[in-house]
Amino acid sequence: MTRLSGGLIDRSRPLNFTFNGISYTGFEGDTLASALLANGVQLMGRSFKYHRPRGVFAAGSEEPNAMVELRTGARQEPNTRATVTELFEGLTARSQNHMGPLHRDFLAVNDLLSPFFAAGFYYKTFMWPKAFWEKLYEPAIRKAAGLGSLSMLPDPDDYDKGFLHCDLLVIGAGAAGLAAALAAGRAGAEVILADEDFALGGRLVMEGDLLDEALATGWVATVKAELESLPNVRIMTRTTVFGVYDHGIFGAVERVSDHLPTPGDKVRQTLWRITAKRTVLAAGATERHMPFADNDRPGVMLAGAMRAYANRWAASPVKRDDDAIAIFTNGDDGHRTALDLIAKGAKVLGVIDTRETAPKFGDYEVFAGATVTGTKGRLGLTSIEITRGGRSEWHSVGALGIAGGWNPNVHLASHHRGRPVWNERLLAFVPSPDGPKGLIPAGAAAGKGGTAEALEDGMAAAIKALAELEISAAEISLPKAENASAEQVAFWHVPGQKRAWVDFQNDVTVKDIALAHRENMTPVEHLKRWTTLGMATDQGKTSNVSALAVMAELTGKSIPETGTTMFRPPYTGVSLAVLGGGDSGPLFRPRRLTPTHHWAAAQGAEFVEVGPWMRAQYFPRKGEMQWRESVDREVLAVRAGVGLCDVTTLGKIDVQGPDAGEFLNRIYANMMGTLKVGKVRYGLMLREDGHAYDDGTCARMGEDHYVVTTTTANAGLVYRQMEFAHQCLWPDLDVQLISTTDAWAQIAVAGPKSRALLSRIVDDFDLSNEAFPFMSCAALTICNGLRARLFRISFSGELAYELAVPARYGHALMARLMEMGADLGVTPYGTEALAVLRIEKGHAAGAELNGQTTAQMLGLGKMVSVKKDSIGAVMSRREGLAADTRRLVGFRSADPQTQIMAGSHLFPEGAEQNMATDQGWITSACYSPHMKGYIALGLLEDGAARLGEVVVAANPLEGQAMKLEVVSAHFVDPEGGRLRD
Amino acid sequence: MLIPHPLLGLRDSQEFTYFGDASLMWRPDPEAPEAEAAFCEYVFLRDNPAGVHRELWFHEQGDRSWLVVTRDTTTHEILGAELASDVKGAAQ
Amino acid sequence: MIEPVTDLAPITALGGTVPRSEIFGALTLSENAGLALASLALRKDQEMPKPFGLPLPEVGKAVSMGGLAAFWTGRGQWMIEAAGRGETDFAAALKAEVPKACVSEQTDGWVAFDIASTQGAAPIEALMARLVNLDSTGFGPGCATRTGLEHMSVFVIRRSEDRLTVMGMRTFADALWHALAVTARRLDD
Repeated sequence: MTRLSGGLIDRSRPLNFTFNGISYTGFEGDTLASALLANGVQLMGRSFKYHRPRGVFAAGSEEPNAMVELRTGARQEPNTRATVTELFEGLTARSQNHMGPLHRDFLAVNDLLSPFFAAGFYYKTFMWPKAFWEKLYEPAIRKAAGLGSLSMLPDPDDYDKGFLHCDLLVIGAGAAGLAAALAAGRAGAEVILADEDFALGGRLVMEGDLLDEALATGWVATVKAELESLPNVRIMTRTTVFGVYDHGIFGAVERVSDHLPTPGDKVRQTLWRITAKRTVLAAGATERHMPFADNDRPGVMLAGAMRAYANRWAASPVKRDDDAIAIFTNGDDGHRTALDLIAKGAKVLGVIDTRETAPKFGDYEVFAGATVTGTKGRLGLTSIEITRGGRSEWHSVGALGIAGGWNPNVHLASHHRGRPVWNERLLAFVPSPDGPKGLIPAGAAAGKGGTAEALEDGMAAAIKALAELEISAAEISLPKAENASAEQVAFWHVPGQKRAWVDFQNDVTVKDIALAHRENMTPVEHLKRWTTLGMATDQGKTSNVSALAVMAELTGKSIPETGTTMFRPPYTGVSLAVLGGGDSGPLFRPRRLTPTHHWAAAQGAEFVEVGPWMRAQYFPRKGEMQWRESVDREVLAVRAGVGLCDVTTLGKIDVQGPDAGEFLNRIYANMMGTLKVGKVRYGLMLREDGHAYDDGTCARMGEDHYVVTTTTANAGLVYRQMEFAHQCLWPDLDVQLISTTDAWAQIAVAGPKSRALLSRIVDDFDLSNEAFPFMSCAALTICNGLRARLFRISFSGELAYELAVPARYGHALMARLMEMGADLGVTPYGTEALAVLRIEKGHAAGAELNGQTTAQMLGLGKMVSVKKDSIGAVMSRREGLAADTRRLVGFRSADPQTQIMAGSHLFPEGAEQNMATDQGWITSACYSPHMKGYIALGLLEDGAARLGEVVVAANPLEGQAMKLEVVSAHFVDPEGGRLRD
Repeated sequence: MLIPHPLLGLRDSQEFTYFGDASLMWRPDPEAPEAEAAFCEYVFLRDNPAGVHRELWFHEQGDRSWLVVTRDTTTHEILGAELASDVKGAAQ
Repeated sequence: MIEPVTDLAPITALGGTVPRSEIFGALTLSENAGLALASLALRKDQEMPKPFGLPLPEVGKAVSMGGLAAFWTGRGQWMIEAAGRGETDFAAALKAEVPKACVSEQTDGWVAFDIASTQGAAPIEALMARLVNLDSTGFGPGCATRTGLEHMSVFVIRRSEDRLTVMGMRTFADALWHALAVTARRLDD
């Protein structure tokens, strides 16, 4: 055990956990990384490419090395950073990316082969033979590389989403963030304070610095209590603001129950979309390192992380208490770590400072003008080589901290192409002044990392932001604090022959950057993609700037000239599950149920998804072995007797006003304004480019009142298009539109006995052919007083009606019609029979109205009125469309029992089958119980003139070809007598 | 994005359906001698500038109004929004 | 009690013979099957009517008066509500009141779910934050708007600090109830 004194862990609450099957104990407040360190575990994983032993490197979300597979079973999660994984009772974790035990990884052979695995290796090596890539190389590489593995089981947890709005969003709850939130909260502004950590305080609780002469934890606790008491402040811990979007919109993930063994009744994570009027970015800074030979051994870590582990988690970075710790620094910050470690009773070898005139702040040895030039220790650091003035000597150490300076976390300020700006005094990039509008960086994120200046800056940023919103915020009294000395020199890496890692996660070394330079991959975006530097889960947070500095050195350019790669969301990894926000399985999208859905379900109907709708597909009866039997029976029942089908899904749009007729004349290709009250007309809409768009009926219910129906698929689109025409093209017309699709349950009553059936439920209404002929409509009452609308229209070609009632009565109406029509053989039918009936009748539907067809092709050319203008009329007459000779015709297979495939293409008999000889295609096909054989509709060149001819329908994908006879599209009652009877 | 709806104030763009170049509002005269050519241009040729653009947004999950939004396509800065029926009405 | 107009028995949008109601901690979710709805759109140059004496609300607002209420749905357009009249021809009654305007029956176009809180505004606002992208602090009593909820189009009406109505298309009733109930249950956990 290498547990130190103090810290923000609760020693009264021990927690048991396992790592690679070995049991350990930590405390509440620990992360997995701090608990492992406190148990003397340095070796936590293997590197991505060379399988080098690795230990924890950082203390936050920037961690490149210590990634584990967390949990087991369906909740197993790969690539979880041990540094942000809160310890819980029973936690199980395993190291990843090794074959065999962690301390003896068989794939470590890759490290010996490293000369072959340099940057660009894959691009160059696996090019030939080409076919080997997909079958051999890629699978093999994927197996060897990559990190953790997935459980391959469905995710058992729930996820949620939500929307928040505020005046001020404060990102980060360190010194600057707390000061900003407190100033804004006291001013009464709506404030959201978000931090990825589970505790507030940021670096305040990781440093040994004092606020008002006491540990900062006291001040943090006081501020937290006050913020919690303010109703206008929302504190969101465990919440990562991962992306900045336009106009003050932010994406954030709240890890609601990742810190619990299982979520229980809670969701696992919540995706928040936050709309903020102003934002203070107080995201702090991330420390960087200075590459040197063999700098990647377990035990080598960031000096600031070492300090954080000691102060916040009372964990020492060494395996045994008597192992010494050394610090390698290019400035004063490294000395702080030495002082804090000494204060905690750790054994410090000394500080290796690259500066010739290095200061000394306490009782420890200073190696001035020195560098670290080598390390030893296969599975954990045992000694380091310190070189000074050309002389080298080895020293025994158990851990080495590296302090290379701090990079402000400029990421979110750079999400809108805000290019960070180099600050020569700070030797770091600071946020661009032209970052996202309304976002003010503050504190360490703005390059003001001293405790006193961060507090001041956070408060000032909040006051400035609120002033822009005309909310006056007063200054708050800040605790007494100091700015620790941050003197440093530019020192980026220790030159040498051996490998010096820059990016630990992707195993990119200084040599790889040099190779990229030699191969002319010098622009940073090329460097990134050629070497993979800065990719993967850590996105190079600890390595990018060092890499730029190395490249700048090689090219002889300055760092700002070299520039950074583009910053894009997310700041840290976001799971796809939370982006889905719970929309999975049957809840993937909301479903629409027809008014007779429950009735149909009770009849045992099979349902089919039609867009969002669930529609009855067919109604199987006992003894029917397969769907065709049910469908054939339903079709024949309609042709011989009477059938019922819920057609509520068709769009219904009320069009009212004195100019309604004129408006409809402009919307429909055919004339509508002349329609008489009480009459219905079939209507065809074109797109403005002249192609057929949608069809349906238009009923004139009153002088100023029309009811338009659309196809199911286009209901929303046609309504939108009509609103466009109304508002954008002809706002001068006095007309009003509103959808009534859901308001009315509409049931098709079709078949020769439909009149007989309806006569039993209408209240005093003359249904005779004389009084209510084909294409009539009326408002009436049925079933003793219920208001209803009746339309005499037919999709099946039989005598038929559609009856609409307020939707709540649809269920009872269906049941009543079934009851009253029992002796007439009344039969409910679904979408399959509906489709067969319309194909037999030759009615165009979705497969024919597919956006590539014209009115002429569908045999509806005469409907495009030349007496008036309408949408699409002009373009429908252009040569390319008018000259198209393809026409909708019917087809019968030579052998009636051979199925015709919709989508087959049509060729002349005996012709070679290619694009040049293609004469059209089959749009719809079915088995027709009426024709006792397979039939189809399709578009055929010169189709109207070729009735009786034989053509070939080919399906080259399946190697199929069959002979078809061209016939009229009207297989049933071509004269149309039945529907007029 | 937030769309400054002229009646409802700032509304999230998720409530809207985007329709592109506002020139769609200016349907050619079908009676004009070169009507077909004018329609071809109207239907098929749209401006897609890098910079300030007047475009149509439909408040489909809102008050179902069509808006003409002036937006800088390079920065997403929105310079104004008007009801399309007002724009058309003023022009007529 | 209004006399039944027909011998057909209606069902509610959720498919029941009686409206559904369920309690989730501080929140009670109830299907309001009795609410009659009719849309009212003004003709060009029509003066602002006051149907049944009801003053029509401004942009984004709702008003109520006795059993009648109205909320703004678009420029020159409102939805008029009548409590307990879901089975009557309310559209006809409204049309008789404002004959010049365009009136459409909308009673069964929408399902209305009333949400009531026993602990003031907080549970209502927490529910809203999970479901609709509206600033609940700026959406106080008397506010009404249409917006999206789980890919569905809904009207949201803040009746009071502790009462909210969400109306969705009737055919989406099951999906909308599911969304509201799951969220309310999670708030209770």
